[in-house]
Amino acid sequence: MTVAVRAESVTKSFAAGTRALDDVSLSVRHGEVLVVMGPSGSGKSTLIRTFNGLESIDSGSLDVVGIPLDCDHDERQIRRIRRRVGMVFQQFNLFPHLTILQNITLAPIQVKSVPKPMAERRAHALLDQMGIADQALKYPAQLSGGQQQRVAIARALALDPELMLFDEPTSALDPERVKEVLDAMRQLADDGMTMVVVTHELGFAREVADRVLFMDGGRVVELTDAETFFTHAKEERSQRFLNQMAH
Amino acid sequence: MQSCFSVVLLALIAWALWSTGFWLVQRADWSVVSGNLPLFAIGSYPEASRWRPILWLGSLLLLTLFTLAQPLLLRRGIGLNSTILSWSWLLMMPLGLWLLAGGGVLDPVPSRLWGGLVLTLLLTVFSGVIALPLGVLLALGRCSELTTARQLSKIYIDGMRAVPLIAVLFFGQLLLPLFLPVQIEINRLLRAVVAFGLFAAAYVAEDVRGGLQAVPPTQSEAAAALGLGPWQIQRLVILPQALRIAVPALTNQAVGLLQNTSLMAILGLVELLGISQSLLANPAYIGRHLEVYVWLAALYWLLCTAMALMARQFERQDPSNLIATRRS
Ligand SMILES: Nc1ncnc2c1ncn2[C@@H]1O[C@H](COP(=O)(O)OP(=O)(O)O)[C@@H](O)[C@H]1O
Ligand SMILES: [Mg+2]
Repeated sequence: MTVAVRAESVTKSFAAGTRALDDVSLSVRHGEVLVVMGPSGSGKSTLIRTFNGLESIDSGSLDVVGIPLDCDHDERQIRRIRRRVGMVFQQFNLFPHLTILQNITLAPIQVKSVPKPMAERRAHALLDQMGIADQALKYPAQLSGGQQQRVAIARALALDPELMLFDEPTSALDPERVKEVLDAMRQLADDGMTMVVVTHELGFAREVADRVLFMDGGRVVELTDAETFFTHAKEERSQRFLNQMAH
Repeated sequence: MQSCFSVVLLALIAWALWSTGFWLVQRADWSVVSGNLPLFAIGSYPEASRWRPILWLGSLLLLTLFTLAQPLLLRRGIGLNSTILSWSWLLMMPLGLWLLAGGGVLDPVPSRLWGGLVLTLLLTVFSGVIALPLGVLLALGRCSELTTARQLSKIYIDGMRAVPLIAVLFFGQLLLPLFLPVQIEINRLLRAVVAFGLFAAAYVAEDVRGGLQAVPPTQSEAAAALGLGPWQIQRLVILPQALRIAVPALTNQAVGLLQNTSLMAILGLVELLGISQSLLANPAYIGRHLEVYVWLAALYWLLCTAMALMARQFERQDPSNLIATRRS
């Protein structure tokens, strides 16, 4: 069986000179949930953004859902990957000029040429799954943060992705709204979705993650199964981070 | 001291109001206006076909009233669907052109016979029709990653904005024919509209660019992550937002466009101002300048207010809140 993501010695520096990724190697199996943790600025966002080509890489090699993605940043390959990989952002990034329904059907109609009635039927089903079936005709500005983020998840799911990337999906939410989004993600994981999730939610990570990747300074500090990471992390830096998060 | 000043000021204002009112009602001779209303409305359009421009003006007026009354009507459940309303407005353009120019079952009427309010509106609408798409293209070019496109757009925009409109209009009259083969003789009106549209496009481009820059880059990122291509992203995600954000600025441009059509009187077009000047040249109306210009000012004010009100309404109805949130 192939893996969903394979990264080998990936490095990435920004123009300003920061080395955001430094010799990162990892793989994500199909059906697995990988949680990425680490202090701010450790390269978590940069890492998962290389997975769908939002960031290019300087050296090393990447393979995402069976499609190679090298340093040459081939647009065609990247778009093939993006049709099969969903992404959810910290700030939701819904399209404010479109209704919720249009937000979700945009990509299936434009990218996959799905007929509109079919795309809409699927969108309604996804909104139902996210528990916001009654919001279809509203605009993003009329929804709460938690609802918007669930729409963003539905929008990403509308392309029937094989892999879902989440970049701190609950960090911009009011505390009382966090649970509804985590519940939706938990449901997704239970249904067998392959997920890479950047999050600081220890409870969610402990419960849902199969493995945890801990990063610092653009490097992989520790990559172990969740059980081991939370009970006796090997590295001193991981332990310190966990202690800080727990308080 | 201060109260003394206020009293003097109040007295001055009262005096100004009273003498203006007195002039308007008692001294002014409005026969120059009331006797020439058809001329102001449609110029010296052939007698037999007058119903055509009048029909167009009438439909525009009705549509404007309908649009302005839309919120009230909707509340009573008898409003027109806003899609129908938008299409009716779009339909007004070809309809107006056909009614005025003739063709098919209608007798052709040459454009030198068009005039008055009808011509003013026609000039405004069709320069706008040229300026908007061209302006959007220029704005996209100005923000593009291609160096050549960016440079060319910048040269065009900066160049146009550095030249006064009247110069562009004169150049249009003289230069446009030079670029065209001899056989194609385009008339004065068309030359004026094209020159005017090309000029206004530069200003539209700057307004649209403002809108483009106000759309956060995370929007194109989110669209790209869904697999949309560069053109799809611009067309479906960025431009619709940028244009909504630019609506208040574009409304100003449209109002400016309407007012600036009066410059075309200098080119000999008999739009509202041109027709007034030709009236004043008539010995029968010697010394009636003030009446005519007050009347003109009132007309322009009415037109601009109607435009501004409709734009305001459009902004308020925008359910995405894009216009409202950026305005404040
Ligand atoms: N677009 C960018 N330009 C320059 N530096 C960047 C950019 N994005 C991220 N960085 C830098 O790269 C490093 C990793 O950032 P990031 O991946 O966002 O970290 P994290 O998501 O873990 O907080 C940081 O030092 C950050 O300042
Ligand atoms: Mg981040």
